[in-house]
Amino acid sequence: MLSELLQGTDVGGFLLIQDSCSYSGRHLLKSFIDAALNREEVVHVLGLDVSEEELKEGLKSFVFQRLHFHDAYADPLGWTDNSPFTVHQFSSSRLTELLKQTAPSKPATLVIDSLSWVLRHISPTAVCHTLQQLKKGGAVRTIIGLLHEDMHSRGIVGSVCRLATSVITVEPGTKGEEALAKITKRSKSGKVTQDEQIFSIRKDLTVTVLSKPTNPGHKRSTTEEQVDPTANLTFNLRLTDAEREAKEKLALPFVFSKEKKTALLHSGPGSGKILYEPDASDDYDQEDPDDDLDV
Amino acid sequence: MFTELNSILNTSPESFTPGEFILLSDRQSDASFLIHHFLSFYLKARCKVCFVALVQSFSHYHAVSQRLGVSLTQAKEKGQLIFLEGLKESLSVFLPQEENAGHQAMSFLRDPAAGLRSLYEFVQSSVVESSGGGGASAEQWGPPVLLMDDVSVLLSLGVRVGAVLDFSHYCRTTVCSQLQGNVVMLVRCDGEAEEDDADDEGSEQLMRGLTHQSCLTLHVQGLPTGYCRDIHGQVEFCWKKRQSDGQHAPKKVFQFKVHDKGVSFFARGTSRAVL
Repeated sequence: MLSELLQGTDVGGFLLIQDSCSYSGRHLLKSFIDAALNREEVVHVLGLDVSEEELKEGLKSFVFQRLHFHDAYADPLGWTDNSPFTVHQFSSSRLTELLKQTAPSKPATLVIDSLSWVLRHISPTAVCHTLQQLKKGGAVRTIIGLLHEDMHSRGIVGSVCRLATSVITVEPGTKGEEALAKITKRSKSGKVTQDEQIFSIRKDLTVTVLSKPTNPGHKRSTTEEQVDPTANLTFNLRLTDAEREAKEKLALPFVFSKEKKTALLHSGPGSGKILYEPDASDDYDQEDPDDDLDV
Repeated sequence: MFTELNSILNTSPESFTPGEFILLSDRQSDASFLIHHFLSFYLKARCKVCFVALVQSFSHYHAVSQRLGVSLTQAKEKGQLIFLEGLKESLSVFLPQEENAGHQAMSFLRDPAAGLRSLYEFVQSSVVESSGGGGASAEQWGPPVLLMDDVSVLLSLGVRVGAVLDFSHYCRTTVCSQLQGNVVMLVRCDGEAEEDDADDEGSEQLMRGLTHQSCLTLHVQGLPTGYCRDIHGQVEFCWKKRQSDGQHAPKKVFQFKVHDKGVSFFARGTSRAVL
């Protein structure tokens, strides 16, 4: 599913890459930029987190004429007087204007690195409003955004995820170069598909999807064989059929069936009987506690 | 400067990667020995150092640096070191005197909500004047370096996490990207990790934000098993960028012991007390 997203067939969508401190999503973001540039698309990058040199590192230089970097990294808050782009200019009208300057005819791909910077200074509702307007506006073909999910509360992250048509959450994998991507894709019909894939990014920014993650400890396909304890002994523990029958017929000495009980209690003729007549010195207690025993 | 730490980081005063943002962090432990290392390292590398020291006095750092073979007073006289002694400067903010027009650097103490723009402007003026070409007697120093000890104390002074992150972003822009210098910041956390609640406007969120901005983090912790006389703790090294030769060695853990004149680092389980 990751490969399909990289091919960028989804027009008018909003792809969100979520990362955390343990694994940076910027490598995957650069792979998406690289894939878009290789498809001859015009890519506009709104750079807030990293500088232009750092973002362009690893991309091939001949595609740079299609890559337009809007530098909001140098002075995002306008502390010096000549700032190319401040974070407060993050609005759909300003961004559409920026995009139209360089690619008037073709709708471009807009990459925002990162949305966390914007969300720190602009209210989430305004950001979501801007993103929605950009999606519907027509000047933008696709929006790809990077969000650091551990920098915001769950509510804000959830709101931005709602807007996205595809969300890729990246986490570190078990082995060194690998990472785990959890992908949620919402199609126009409303169907939601989810997937988990392990991938690694090579030095030339191509993504290799490795496999689905194996869930250790859950599936044990081998059935346990019943072990026969009477096999392989020097003595015989098995029974023949006749011996089994005789064993089952045997009445155990202290297991009382009802017939045996009545025979013992009410002894028949010929067996002894006990007659008891208490003397004067006998302690004959009317309320003998053992009286109600049925033995 | 600790030679073992240099070999772990694969740097030396003669050759180190420029344009790096190094984050030192600790949790219920004390990573200030790393600040002393980086201070002496960059002074020995003949860089222009701007040191924003908010928690200790100048004499403290001077005493420790002397044991590491560097004299801070000499560096200050030569113009190599610009030292902002936060403790002293804050007094002049609260008790302004006539002759002391005062640094505007610590003016955020009066109005923490306004942010750290004035502190950034102080940093910018300190590092930029080196590349502006000083007087005839000015020596040529290497790329500028900003050291901060420590950033989390700004939170206790009433500054918001967002303002501190903006400040560190601007320092990174000016020092790392424009001037190809390095930035080293120390952030301290108390309490346990893994707080799910990202609404917490505390040192955890600050550390996460700075980790996202940095390319190398050194995290100091005590041993998980408790106090040990021979091993003072462990350091976790985390590289974010790929090394230039394509090798991706993201994390390494070493244990350390602090001595009088240095710190020894060793792989886990290889302490002299154990072997």
